[in-house]
Amino acid sequence: MKTKPVVQFKNIKKKIGKKMIIDDISFEVNAGEIFGFLGPNGAGKTTTIRMLFGLISITEGEILINGFSIKHDFEKAIESVGGIVENPEMYQYLTGYNNLVHYARMYGNITKERINEVVALVGLDQRVKDKVKTYSLGMRQRLGLAQALLHKPSLIVLDEPTNGLDPAGIHEFRAHLRMLAEKENIAIMVSSHQLSEMELMCDRIGIIQNGKLLDIQTVNDFLSKDEVVMRVTFTVDNVIKAKACLNQMFKEIETLEKETTISIMIDSSQIPEIISAFEREGVRISGIDKESKTLEEKFLEVTGGTGIA
Amino acid sequence: MFNLILNENMKIFRQVSTYIMLGLLVVLVIAIAGFQAKPSMQPYTSEWKAELTQQNTDFQKTITETQAQRTVGEQTAAVFDQRIKTNNYRIEHNLPPQAKALWGFVTDLTGAVSIVSLFAIIIAAGIVAGEFNSGTIKLLLIRPLERWKILLSKYLTVLWFAFVSLILLFMTSFIVGGILYGFSGASQPYLAFKNGNVTEINILWHIFTTYAYACVNLLMMVTFAFMMSTVFRKSSIAVGVSIFLMFTGNALVSFLSQQGWVKYVLFANTNLMVYTDGVPVVKGMTMTFSLLVLTAYFIGFNVISWLVFSKRDVAA
Repeated sequence: MKTKPVVQFKNIKKKIGKKMIIDDISFEVNAGEIFGFLGPNGAGKTTTIRMLFGLISITEGEILINGFSIKHDFEKAIESVGGIVENPEMYQYLTGYNNLVHYARMYGNITKERINEVVALVGLDQRVKDKVKTYSLGMRQRLGLAQALLHKPSLIVLDEPTNGLDPAGIHEFRAHLRMLAEKENIAIMVSSHQLSEMELMCDRIGIIQNGKLLDIQTVNDFLSKDEVVMRVTFTVDNVIKAKACLNQMFKEIETLEKETTISIMIDSSQIPEIISAFEREGVRISGIDKESKTLEEKFLEVTGGTGIA
Repeated sequence: MFNLILNENMKIFRQVSTYIMLGLLVVLVIAIAGFQAKPSMQPYTSEWKAELTQQNTDFQKTITETQAQRTVGEQTAAVFDQRIKTNNYRIEHNLPPQAKALWGFVTDLTGAVSIVSLFAIIIAAGIVAGEFNSGTIKLLLIRPLERWKILLSKYLTVLWFAFVSLILLFMTSFIVGGILYGFSGASQPYLAFKNGNVTEINILWHIFTTYAYACVNLLMMVTFAFMMSTVFRKSSIAVGVSIFLMFTGNALVSFLSQQGWVKYVLFANTNLMVYTDGVPVVKGMTMTFSLLVLTAYFIGFNVISWLVFSKRDVAA
């Protein structure tokens, strides 16, 4: 896979009044990769995306798309970008098809065949001749994706794209983005608060908080750092006995009990020890669940536990 | 640019409210026809020359009587004088009058241009603010087109809508007038009174100029509404302020008529008809002066719209 940067953020700053909303953010998204943009509410995700689209001005710094500056060469820079900012708001009184015609006309070289192709791609063929006001949120998302793909952009930016999609839709959507990244070598930038989803979707993740980019890592690095420690949950017949047993073995580690389960954060190599200890005490085990730290927990660690969007 | 205008037109003409407005315009013309149809339909007979002569004698008598009593001002006398001269012209040139001709009806309805202004203001107020209101502005501005192009296409579309409405008004009043009075009067010349003489002028030209004068106000108010729409992003504010000013503008000017600076107020200049046929608001005002003031306002409104729209941070 080529690693040509499609979009480059260079020391981006945004000041509104006296407040620094975005403070010196720099990163790149390469062709063929899916980049996740993660952060709590008000961290500056949407602000950054708006600057990329030229919807708001950049106080300092430069955003280059295929080498063209969004500030100084807007038309050329934006030509190769497609996307959705926040919700996919369309003209309610027009049909889905006419909405697409509307956007297609603004590029000037999009054929009817291309519109139909995109409609089929997002699976909207059945309803595209209906007015948008009759659409469900999921269908609007599909239409939003369709308008983002119309002009075959080399960068797609999606803000909270899976909002309103059902699980099957999300799965399909994910597969779709993968296909676009891998087969068409498109750079994709996604912001989402569905952290578990990012885990499944993205190659790299950048974490933003209070307008600063805290960390960029590949998803694999992110998760495997100290993967040996994980939450292990035992389903047992006697929770009280099990608790006493665990408390004796791991004095500093807290346990979490429910009616028939008890869980503890331990190194996975210690599981056999616990099993034999339980057997000695006459605690019968009917199930063991291992849970590796999720992205969400990691995320909370990195951001210091402030609320997630 | 053509594609952009096509887009804006699609957005306007796929909305029910647009058709309601155009429908109201047609209904209005028909309603006025309904009110006018009944009274004073005394058709002139073959004896019309004698009738007109009789009428002239009556008019002349009234003038001498009132002048003797000094009860009626010069203006009334002038009106009678005008009627007499017109009648004489008809007799001389063998042009039978028609009780209420087709063109009379069309001319009467040029007053409805202010209704067209009203509708055009509503469209202008919504065309920018509406995009902000629905959030569609974001997907509109992330296309490879500088913002001024999008703004210009919207402005031109508003003017196009006004033009279409004016054509509709003219066509409906012509058709309704024709049904009411017959199309036979269509070829009749219009008798205008100029510098104390009766002249025949092309009726279409006459109606065209009447429309054109009325459009000065339309253009200024629509441009104003468009600016308000761009600056405040709320169509209600844009409609409210524009319509308020449209209806109170003239009253405002007459209220301020003692002030020297009133001649720089927009509404003191929007009625250009006063320079051909009437009295200007302030003595010494000329057509050129008014045109300059109007141009200044026009440029001002558009520059403000353009600056605000192209510099704005879109965070709707």
